Amino acid sequence: MGSSRVDPIRGRRREAGQLVAPYILILPSLLLAFWIIGYPIWDLTDMSLHSVTRFGQLKEFSGLANFSHLIAEPLFLECLIRTLVWTFAVVGGTVLLSIPIALILADDFVGRRVLRVIIMLPWAVSLTMSGIVWRWALNGQSGMLNATLYDFGLMKQPITWLATADTAFPIEIAIGILVSIPFSVTVFLGGLSSLPREIFEAARIDGASGWQRWRFLTFPLIRPFINIVLVLNFIYVFNSFPLIWVMTQGDPANSTDILVTWLYKLAFRYGKLDIASALSIVMFLILLAFTVVYAVLAMRNEREAG
Amino acid sequence: MSRAGRSVVYWLILSPLVLIILFPFAVMISTAIRPRAEILVFPPVWLPKEIRLQNFVDMWQAVGFGQALVNSVIVSAGATALCLIVAIPAAYATSRMVFRGRRLFRQFLLVTQMLSPIVLVLGIFRLMVKMGLVDQLYALVLCYAAFNLAFAVWMLQAYFRTIPKELEEAAMLDGASTFQRLWMVFLPLAAPALGVTATFVFIYCWNEFVLALTLLRSNENFTLTFQIFSLVGGRYSIEWDNVMAATLLASVPVAIVFAKLQRYLVSGLALGAIK
Repeated sequence: MGSSRVDPIRGRRREAGQLVAPYILILPSLLLAFWIIGYPIWDLTDMSLHSVTRFGQLKEFSGLANFSHLIAEPLFLECLIRTLVWTFAVVGGTVLLSIPIALILADDFVGRRVLRVIIMLPWAVSLTMSGIVWRWALNGQSGMLNATLYDFGLMKQPITWLATADTAFPIEIAIGILVSIPFSVTVFLGGLSSLPREIFEAARIDGASGWQRWRFLTFPLIRPFINIVLVLNFIYVFNSFPLIWVMTQGDPANSTDILVTWLYKLAFRYGKLDIASALSIVMFLILLAFTVVYAVLAMRNEREAG
Repeated sequence: MSRAGRSVVYWLILSPLVLIILFPFAVMISTAIRPRAEILVFPPVWLPKEIRLQNFVDMWQAVGFGQALVNSVIVSAGATALCLIVAIPAAYATSRMVFRGRRLFRQFLLVTQMLSPIVLVLGIFRLMVKMGLVDQLYALVLCYAAFNLAFAVWMLQAYFRTIPKELEEAAMLDGASTFQRLWMVFLPLAAPALGVTATFVFIYCWNEFVLALTLLRSNENFTLTFQIFSLVGGRYSIEWDNVMAATLLASVPVAIVFAKLQRYLVSGLALGAIK
């Protein structure tokens, strides 16, 4: 062993190995990602710039025609607006509810462990399963929500919650918030537990009220966590497909369609592949923009941390 | 406020939320155990006249639960294994080695993490048609591994950084190759992190919906999640007792594992997101 360390040729070979090694190590992951994620992005881009038959054959180059067809679809604007309402309502509702819940769960009280487990429960059940159970619970004839309202004398006629445009979408937003709370609470709890305890003691001794401690200490300190929860939730909720698909499939009469469910129908039900590919690219660009925001936020945290 | 007073106030504040969270579980149980004659009635009632556990046995047969369960295990285990095999070396490189393009690689991972399959589903479907993998479980294995790659690398590199470098340096002085260092010194130390990461990838695969909906065609290939959905989607008469029994049976094991491991996810996420 000792001799190899002074041997200049072996030493150089080892150096070269050190230089190439990281690239060999990351190569398989690059290949898999380019194959399964990169190729479809390229394919969709290509398709969005050509005329396409119902069966997916590319015809002549058509520039941005598919994109202008997409924008001309009346449902596009409708679904875009509904997606924004859905995303802002679910993310906003989630964050507004999660902060007080996390503040409570971070405090010391009787039954805290039980309460933590209960609050986290919706996270443990998949979105598909939650959607199925809620669809049955909201059933117009025999759903248990109707049963409960009936038992308390709050209802005379059965309400078909998901078959009525006025109730279906708000209910889906509420369930969206419910299933997003656990993740956000968890991140906030992690943030709260990382705060130095001494400054809160000092503030209390100096006579700061609960509100002042929140406004001038807790809130600024967990701000980075709020930012990250906002961006991550925005991306998850924007992409959220199973809940709406399972509960209403975008119906009645497209009144609960958001971009992802409409995209699925365009591609696999209506066979409008040209518009579907254009929409995929538009959504990809929206997500890319958000990823950049996230990366900037994450990097700023990194810089502040170290 | 005293601790007791605080406890009462906190529980009161959160009680509406607790009720709403527990409500679907109560619905699942209440429907899964009742005889079919007591399901489609108005006004509906919470407690059935008869508790019928035979429902679970009947459901297993009627739904094809066993086959779907096997499919889900195959897909999830296969995808998790593939994902880790590819992610471990990448995470090792990004956490241990300095090389040109490391930053770029991490940003690339971030972008793939943000993409949900639904946005690319049409492109993925066309890719699988081209490769002749439609209605084959391999298609799901490949997709799930690829879409979990970023998460796995992210989690692993966060843990890998906490393993002291000295052990590997000692192994290097003893003349061990990069591969030997990774395989014999590093991985045994990283075993807990691998276990946690594998579990989360597995649960993702277990629960995944959009790709199964798009890529699977014949009943005998359906994964559990998709099989249960197919009992509800596009049918005129839905046998809700079977559906609820199946949902219950499919959710509870995952829920228990998840509840036990969730704090690891938090620390991993925190490490990955903040650092």
